[in-house]
Amino acid sequence: MLSYALRRIVVFVPTLFITLTLIFVLTRMLPGSPVASLLGGQSVNAAKIEEVSRQFGFDRPILEQYLEWLPRILSGSLGQSLFFTKPVTEVLIQRLPVTLSLTVLALMVTIAVGIPLGILSAVKRGSFLDYLGNVLSSLGMALPPFWLGFVLILLVAVGLKLLPSSGYRPLEMGFWPWLSRMILPTIALSLSQIGLIVRMTRSTMLEVLDTEYVGMARAKGMPETVVIVRHALRNAMVQIITAVGLLFALGLGGSVIIEQVFALPGLGELITTAAIRRDYATLEGGILYLTLMALLVNLLVDLAYAYFNPRVRLA
Amino acid sequence: MLSVGLMMLTLLMLFTLLTPLLVPIDPLGISAVDKLLPPSLDHLLGTDELGRDQLSRLVVGSGISLRIAVAATALTAIFGIGLGMVSGQYPAIDIVVSQISDSLLIFPGVVLAIMILAALGPSELNVIIAVFVLYVPRVIRTVRAAVIEYRDADFVQAARSLGASDLRVLVLHIFPRAIGPTMVQLSLGFSSAILVEAGLSFLGLGAPPPAPTWGGMISGAREYIRTAPWLMIAPGAIITYAVLSLNLIGDGLRDMLDPRSRAAGQ
Repeated sequence: MLSYALRRIVVFVPTLFITLTLIFVLTRMLPGSPVASLLGGQSVNAAKIEEVSRQFGFDRPILEQYLEWLPRILSGSLGQSLFFTKPVTEVLIQRLPVTLSLTVLALMVTIAVGIPLGILSAVKRGSFLDYLGNVLSSLGMALPPFWLGFVLILLVAVGLKLLPSSGYRPLEMGFWPWLSRMILPTIALSLSQIGLIVRMTRSTMLEVLDTEYVGMARAKGMPETVVIVRHALRNAMVQIITAVGLLFALGLGGSVIIEQVFALPGLGELITTAAIRRDYATLEGGILYLTLMALLVNLLVDLAYAYFNPRVRLA
Repeated sequence: MLSVGLMMLTLLMLFTLLTPLLVPIDPLGISAVDKLLPPSLDHLLGTDELGRDQLSRLVVGSGISLRIAVAATALTAIFGIGLGMVSGQYPAIDIVVSQISDSLLIFPGVVLAIMILAALGPSELNVIIAVFVLYVPRVIRTVRAAVIEYRDADFVQAARSLGASDLRVLVLHIFPRAIGPTMVQLSLGFSSAILVEAGLSFLGLGAPPPAPTWGGMISGAREYIRTAPWLMIAPGAIITYAVLSLNLIGDGLRDMLDPRSRAAGQ
């Protein structure tokens, strides 16, 4: 297992390197000078622009900037945000709980609703539950999450006045103020994930239920519950855990748009505004955080998959 | 499922092509007196804050959305199949292609598309490029996997011993085996293209105004969510409809081409 883990980590090194390079190249391709954007509407002379350029190192050749940038990023120093005038890391840490609240809650709902529904759909194939699961997953994957967000605001916040329509309260301000503002975004983000996991779970379970060892367990006269839980589910779990990990990475991407809909000050909202303001350092940092989280989850999923499945590990 | 999906998609195309023949279409016509009207006979879907007819905008938006999705999917198909075949066949090229496409897949969801559009600027062409970059790695992987699976198969070796070139073997002997999974990937990529385009234009990174994109219409309607909620409903409903029809086609193709999932689906 250890040697597999090491091999896997070694393979991630070039991927990380290319990912970082892509982030650098794309952020340097942003139109317009960040200096002009930084100085805003101020009437400035050429000398001032040059001074700020030199201060932030924008005047040097791009390759030189890159060679200076890469080791700095790898050492965890993300630089100074042009707009917040404080270290980018500080801004990101401040935003992180919002994005994590949203993605983790959505993942919890997805697991709690999606996996049981998928299992029941497979076990009671053709039943009302199976039908419900199918409709829910087809709709979930077709509804644009941001539109679903607005429909929820329209129905629950504006129409029924049950929950606040947007904004964020940190957990320190109380559990309910935090949760009440998270419920609608969580539903909007999780419905598409539920759609995916229901289908995944259902088809994996059907495949497993069709195998000879499950037939064998049945032939021995085991109670159906034991057959499903101990023989089928345990084997299906390998695939399902993998899918859950990938869903988390997907949720990180989805949160970018959902945060805009519900005015949640998270990483996604930060990235979109930083892109518009050409705040290089903040944009890089935000994308880096989201991407590294996804990368880490992918790595963990790979390792978990190998742990549960000796065929992968020993191949 | 395939037939239902195809029927729904045909209806959407008919809606896009025929509505202009049935009602006067003027997606940009501004009228101060007619602003924020609820649906009526004159304006079947009401009007927005500038008095523009919503049905007109929806139809034109439908054209934009389908155009982007078709173009992005065609690009994805050409480059995905080409690069997938080459990298499955030649290990030296594979190292580069796979490494880059794996790195592209690491970026969560639309983050990569947001970066690309921020760098290139919002326009219809750049949305096509962004969607293409987002989905081409998936097709490369699918085709590459099929090539690797079959490149040492008996029928391939037989063809080679008869003197067939690499190109001939790849295109005529191996690629036919990859058509099924590739079609499924492409149809799912097509529906994702519509969702991603809607999301990007919602963020203001799609085709710039006054082009009436579906996502842009939803974004514009959010200020009027209390006073004119109907503005929000139609664009979202049509996105859902379009994506649903394409997903049904994708599922139908998968069931048709993969007997295992057909058994599971019933």
